[in-house]
Amino acid sequence: MASVSEMYDVTWEEMRDKLRKWREDNHRNSEQIVDVGEELINEHASKLGDDIWIIYEQVMIAALDCSRDDLAWTCLQELKRQFPGSQRVKRLAGMRLEALEKYEDASKQYDSILQDDPTNTAARKRKISILKAQGKSAEAIRELNEYLEQFVGDQEAWHELSELYINEHDYGKAAFCLEELMMTNPHNHLYCEQYAEVKYTQGGLENLELSRKYFAQALKLNNRNMRALFGLYMSASHIAASPKVNATVKKANVKYATWATNQINRAYQGNVTNRVPGC
Amino acid sequence: MGEVELSCLAYVKMYLHGCLFPRCSVNGLLLSSSPAGGAVCVTDCVPLLHSHLPLAPITQLGLTQVDVWCAQTQQRIVGYYQANACVSDNSPTPCALKIADKIAEQCNNAVLLMIDGGKMSPDYRVPPIVMYERKDTRWTLKDKHTIMLRQWEETREIANQLLDSGDHSLLVDFDSHLDDITRDWTNQKLNAKIAELASPANVCTWMSRVEK
Repeated sequence: MASVSEMYDVTWEEMRDKLRKWREDNHRNSEQIVDVGEELINEHASKLGDDIWIIYEQVMIAALDCSRDDLAWTCLQELKRQFPGSQRVKRLAGMRLEALEKYEDASKQYDSILQDDPTNTAARKRKISILKAQGKSAEAIRELNEYLEQFVGDQEAWHELSELYINEHDYGKAAFCLEELMMTNPHNHLYCEQYAEVKYTQGGLENLELSRKYFAQALKLNNRNMRALFGLYMSASHIAASPKVNATVKKANVKYATWATNQINRAYQGNVTNRVPGC
Repeated sequence: MGEVELSCLAYVKMYLHGCLFPRCSVNGLLLSSSPAGGAVCVTDCVPLLHSHLPLAPITQLGLTQVDVWCAQTQQRIVGYYQANACVSDNSPTPCALKIADKIAEQCNNAVLLMIDGGKMSPDYRVPPIVMYERKDTRWTLKDKHTIMLRQWEETREIANQLLDSGDHSLLVDFDSHLDDITRDWTNQKLNAKIAELASPANVCTWMSRVEK
């Protein structure tokens, strides 16, 4: 089988830089990371200098994601040798146990990290991930709430919690989490749009109006967000059709819906196979 | 109740949808180009979402758009499929039941199909699916003998081939379409690839390979 460098005509430096970019952007393109990383490790380890350790870590996690325990094990051994007694490496060993579904052993691993360092957030989050993997949503939610009482600024945790609540159909609490995220990330159009979707799902006139406002806000932040555009159309249409609204409100919402329809049609112009039915 | 037949095209796209997003729950709609009455023939499917399945707006949007497309192409929505992110649990979630209920309002013998993630392996002997039908107001497990998947081994081979060649990444679900509206959620390109692989000439080549 052709190597990555042969197939894509890249140098080892370009491969190393690609890995760094994926690391920085937190991409979970595990199959690619495994392909590129494995070749880099096998063929060019000596040239990588100190970069090799963080690459081992990155490739190990990607390998776990692709059920490549052989590769994960190799990376882990190298890291253990270089950093004996490291909490960070211990956490990686725990992740490997998780991947093998040895949840009890993984949990013990994380507990031992927390014994030495009770503020180790990574270990706490891994424990919550175990609960999620085991389908224990209620417990995962409880633990995550406790975690957030201590680490109230952890964006990733707030977002994870919102997802867990959505899956449990607890839209009120999901909305609360998204409100936290919107407060600390006022320019993030995705949080606005997700919040609007939750409000829409909750239903009722008040929530629909809120949802319309937040779809509009998401569009203001990113006018290419199609979900927000469709959401604006749908929420405005529903409000206009409601018997509970007065003529002024109805008129305004018909205007918003019409505007949205025009924007949608413009976006689809030239794309004949995807005309917009139902608008 | 009645018999249900699942076409190669519908199965392969459903399966690939699950493979394309292994860490997410995915869902989609089952379509039929056969007239109503008699056995339900699922001839195609439209993959819908791989995120926030319980949220209403995009689901409603997807249902509407597929409905209109079906009217234009003489198809009907006859069912719903879902694969849960957690492979140890393949029971229908509340949102699955809700959407299936909605479909059943328009289609008498609608089916609810759950993909059993735990049984998705290249050489699994039986299709990794569990089907439900509506009896009175509840969704009950369908008798396995009323579910037909003609040429299962060939179908499985087609799915495997597409996975091996990486062509499963051609699959577009409604979610992906909203991320980039130039992408076609009716999957004409992938349909053509599957039809090509399902042609008699190709099938003969594999069957001899499989038998070795």
